[in-house]
Amino acid sequence: MARAATLGGRFDTVVFGACVVVAIVLSALPLQMRDPLASALRRTIVAPLVAMQQGAERWRAAWLESERRTLQADSIGLAAMRSRALEFENERLRKLLGLGARLTWGFIPAEALHTEGRTETVVTTLTLTAGSNAGVTQYSPVVAPEGIVGLVQTVDPGMSIAILFSHPDFRVSAMSADGAAFGIVYPRIDVASMRLSERYLLELRNVPFRSELKAGTPIYSSGVGQAWPRGVLIGTVIDEVAEPETWSRTYVLRPAVNPAHVTSVMILRAPRVAQGVSGVWPVPTAPARAGDSAVTPPGDSARAKFVADSIQRLLVRRQRRDSIRRDSVRKDSIRLDSIRLDSIRRDTTRPPQERTP
Amino acid sequence: MKSGAALRTAVACAIMIALHYTLRPLLGWRASIDFLLIALVFGSVRTRPAAAAVFGLFLGLAADSLSPGAFGAGALAATIVGFSSSWLKAVFFADNFALNAIFLFAGKWVFDFVFVLMARQLRGLEILVQLVLWTPLAAIITAVAGVLVITLLRPVYQERTA
Repeated sequence: MARAATLGGRFDTVVFGACVVVAIVLSALPLQMRDPLASALRRTIVAPLVAMQQGAERWRAAWLESERRTLQADSIGLAAMRSRALEFENERLRKLLGLGARLTWGFIPAEALHTEGRTETVVTTLTLTAGSNAGVTQYSPVVAPEGIVGLVQTVDPGMSIAILFSHPDFRVSAMSADGAAFGIVYPRIDVASMRLSERYLLELRNVPFRSELKAGTPIYSSGVGQAWPRGVLIGTVIDEVAEPETWSRTYVLRPAVNPAHVTSVMILRAPRVAQGVSGVWPVPTAPARAGDSAVTPPGDSARAKFVADSIQRLLVRRQRRDSIRRDSVRKDSIRLDSIRLDSIRRDTTRPPQERTP
Repeated sequence: MKSGAALRTAVACAIMIALHYTLRPLLGWRASIDFLLIALVFGSVRTRPAAAAVFGLFLGLAADSLSPGAFGAGALAATIVGFSSSWLKAVFFADNFALNAIFLFAGKWVFDFVFVLMARQLRGLEILVQLVLWTPLAAIITAVAGVLVITLLRPVYQERTA
């Protein structure tokens, strides 16, 4: 038994030795001699294995290709989303350039930075990238191509902070386009927590009871109080608020500017505020008939109609005069400067008279 | 080994060899599972050392035929691993998961060590990186997969008792 085990052990060792020798000899053979042997193996016993490997690699290639196509489709989707954002931004910048061209001087362009992750539910302030170094002063009006944005509250050398029209301290004296109805615009603060979206709406208060405004009537700054120039669009009338007072009316306004869309703004300088911005924000032309006036005249008196018509005529005349003046200002090559952003920063803070050598 | 047991072992080895040429390229990992080595160790521990050495030689040659530059290196490595597995099983091999895993890990590492040295395809630092980084990783993965496959194939190779 022990002898058989010893013989068996020797046999195993001999076979192992032989196998090792064969393997070493095969690896030491020159390439010309190894190739036919390897080729014979590949064409016989290894062939089905290679076929299986080929199939598996095709599956893998298909899987990787599918993954690549999914990624490609995702990238295209993402690029399409970005292109929409770029189109939107482009449109806004074009509008801003248009506003710059209409203002021609007396403004400071700035970027509006929204602070992410703030705790307050309603955004009431905005950080602007222009400060006292650029000529920004406290209480400078901040406007967008659509209309009023807010008022500069704090000024640092390189930046400033503006309160939005949603801030509780915000006020602006306002009027209807035809100047027949006056009031003061406040932020709409007293809204239920369930209807916070209404918190961005405005209220036009203290409108004389005789001045009834229709829904959709645009409301502009009146220029009373000197903080805001006359004629900056604030918003449009949505509805009237039922008030216990009988001597005045209050209207809810939809602001012209959506705070979420504000990325670039213009800060108006004091000389520009003093000179006014008439014609910069388009005022609807005079209604075709007196009955189409934004303000419903009291009663049916012919006198009221006559007054309304006279106001319209005056406004049209004033607009025509302003536009002639604006055209004459544009002629002195200021418009070319105001189209380029860098020149806007450099040249738009002074009136054209000061810039002329 | 009885003929029935030998057949079952052969079937299990064939499945593992098939997995080497199907699942392995499908996964495409850098440190991949070496199903050939699992088949070699699995078959070797169930046969005599001489048969294990011959099995290793042929398995190695079949694998080497696809990489003619290293022809013979895999055969030598597989012969050594096969013979050692069969010889060592008599000493302390038991049907134990942990022990199986250790044998597979050591077998893979020895196989790669011999193959890398014999094939002479890597040089200097590359050899060190292969043997210290990639080989242990592949050995761990092979050991884990080997234990899993051996467990799954238990109904195929285990003799039924009444």
